[in-house]
Amino acid sequence: MSVTNQRRWQRHTRRSVEAGLGYFFVLPTLLLIALLLVGPLVKAFNSSLTNSSFINPVPQFVGWDNYVQIVHDPMFLQIVQTTAIWTMAVVIAQLVLGFATALLLNRTFRGRALVRALIIMPWVCPGVIAAIIWRVIDDPYLGPLDGLLAWLGVPHPNIAWLGQPQTALGGLVIAAIWKGTPFSTVMYLAALQSVPAELLEAATIDGAGAWARLRSVIIPQTMPVIRVILVFTIVWTFNSFDLIYVLTQGGPANSTQTFPTWIYKLAFSETDFGPASAYGMIALLLLMAFSLLYIWQLNRARILD
Amino acid sequence: MSSQSFAAGPGRQRLGQAAVYAAVFLTMAFFMFPFVWMISMALKPAGEVFDFPPSLVPAHPTLHNFQSALNPSFLRYALNSVIVAAATTALTIPVALLSAYSLSRLRFPGRKSIMTIVIITQLLPLAVLVIPMYQILADWHLLNTYVGLVITYLAFTVPVSVWLLRGFLVGLPVELEEAAQIDGSTRIGAFFRIVVPLTAPGIAAAATYVFFLSWQEFLFALSFLSGDMSTLPIGVLSYIGEHTTNWGLLMASSTLVCVPVFVVFFFLQRQFIAGLVQGSVKG
Repeated sequence: MSVTNQRRWQRHTRRSVEAGLGYFFVLPTLLLIALLLVGPLVKAFNSSLTNSSFINPVPQFVGWDNYVQIVHDPMFLQIVQTTAIWTMAVVIAQLVLGFATALLLNRTFRGRALVRALIIMPWVCPGVIAAIIWRVIDDPYLGPLDGLLAWLGVPHPNIAWLGQPQTALGGLVIAAIWKGTPFSTVMYLAALQSVPAELLEAATIDGAGAWARLRSVIIPQTMPVIRVILVFTIVWTFNSFDLIYVLTQGGPANSTQTFPTWIYKLAFSETDFGPASAYGMIALLLLMAFSLLYIWQLNRARILD
Repeated sequence: MSSQSFAAGPGRQRLGQAAVYAAVFLTMAFFMFPFVWMISMALKPAGEVFDFPPSLVPAHPTLHNFQSALNPSFLRYALNSVIVAAATTALTIPVALLSAYSLSRLRFPGRKSIMTIVIITQLLPLAVLVIPMYQILADWHLLNTYVGLVITYLAFTVPVSVWLLRGFLVGLPVELEEAAQIDGSTRIGAFFRIVVPLTAPGIAAAATYVFFLSWQEFLFALSFLSGDMSTLPIGVLSYIGEHTTNWGLLMASSTLVCVPVFVVFFFLQRQFIAGLVQGSVKG
């Protein structure tokens, strides 16, 4: 064997060893995904094509019937609408308020280290506990909200904020903003700290005011983080279950039902696994359309290479 | 006078600084007030909870609620939560670290597609998985067991940790490992002697996150567990009765559930955020 051939052979073996090791190391993760995510998703799709009832517990194949019924049900439109309003309101508020708070905490003031350490608390507070606290705050008799109104002189201010369709969703959105914004804040704060000081100085020397610096230096520099946080807050808000379940259970009069609470209700209160799974598949399609957009962007930015 | 020097004038600056303090105060009031309220209610004796309008400062503060909160069933829920969260974290990190190493350092066909799959798993609607997972666990006789819940959590915690740790590894210089290999270390030797210690901050961040996720998870725990096997979120929620609720006890228990996470995050927050930023932007 010639020297060059031997080298080539060595390089070849080294590469196949590397590839073998590579596959071996990712195998457990791939198996978990296949067994615990892909498998159940296929099962959910199958189950969305069946129907069972209390009298007939064995699922019967019904084809696309569940989907046809869902699309003709006025409840479907209402859930899509509520989920969309809920997700958009919470995500936009978290973006704007989170970024504004990050800009604030990026300034110098006394006690800054303590404030930065405390601000994360609502986000790390377990979702159920956050929900219980907000249930108390919004309570017509126990809560400080109506107590404040009474103190301001409003007669009999015992408003059940979560008990009436006009205010229930708003009450939920405020609780979700409280719970989720701190995460955006600390992430944006970390991103702001990595904006090069020279760029800001250069902009200032060029006569850029605070607003111009924000628009032409700070936001473009923090864009990669903003994009990731947006994706995450959208998915988390879409999926959020504990807040709604504990605060309103989707009520009153289904005015706060989103995909997760409705699927849970169909599956576990009414044991309608077929329609519940069909709703689940529709939710999957909605989120996947959005995910593909994100993946396409990651690919364009060559982050996956 | 240019706007620059005007802005730097002492009067204007003092005013600006006062506005900063006012804004910080308002922000903290909004984010901290609910916790203050929780603790205030936890410290109120039973009779005082229903006074209207409610007062922020308890008239006769008592630790009685905390004493009754530490009852056997609460401690059992706490034990369940610790077991589930610790087992999930201990199983997730080694698996995820190896995969993250593979996806950041080793070249092989299909690597990019695998990374894409890992990211997609983070974007799934969770509710769609509850029903089939419930059926699968029922078939395997794993409903209402630690094992069943931990298995379910692994499906989410492993991919997210792979993603975080990969971002962290991408940020580490490859040269250190290469130097170790030239020295005669094998690839696996280099992994344990060089990569693992260097990745320690990333591992801490991922482990904190996984522990936190499983500590507070609600949907799957609610669907798969009941009674004595409940984790803290489910157990504490069961204190809310159909007709009567002991609010002081509920608030004291809620405070106790929050404290461990607050302590952990207070100390590990910096590593956690650094790890998350690095993980999310690089990978």
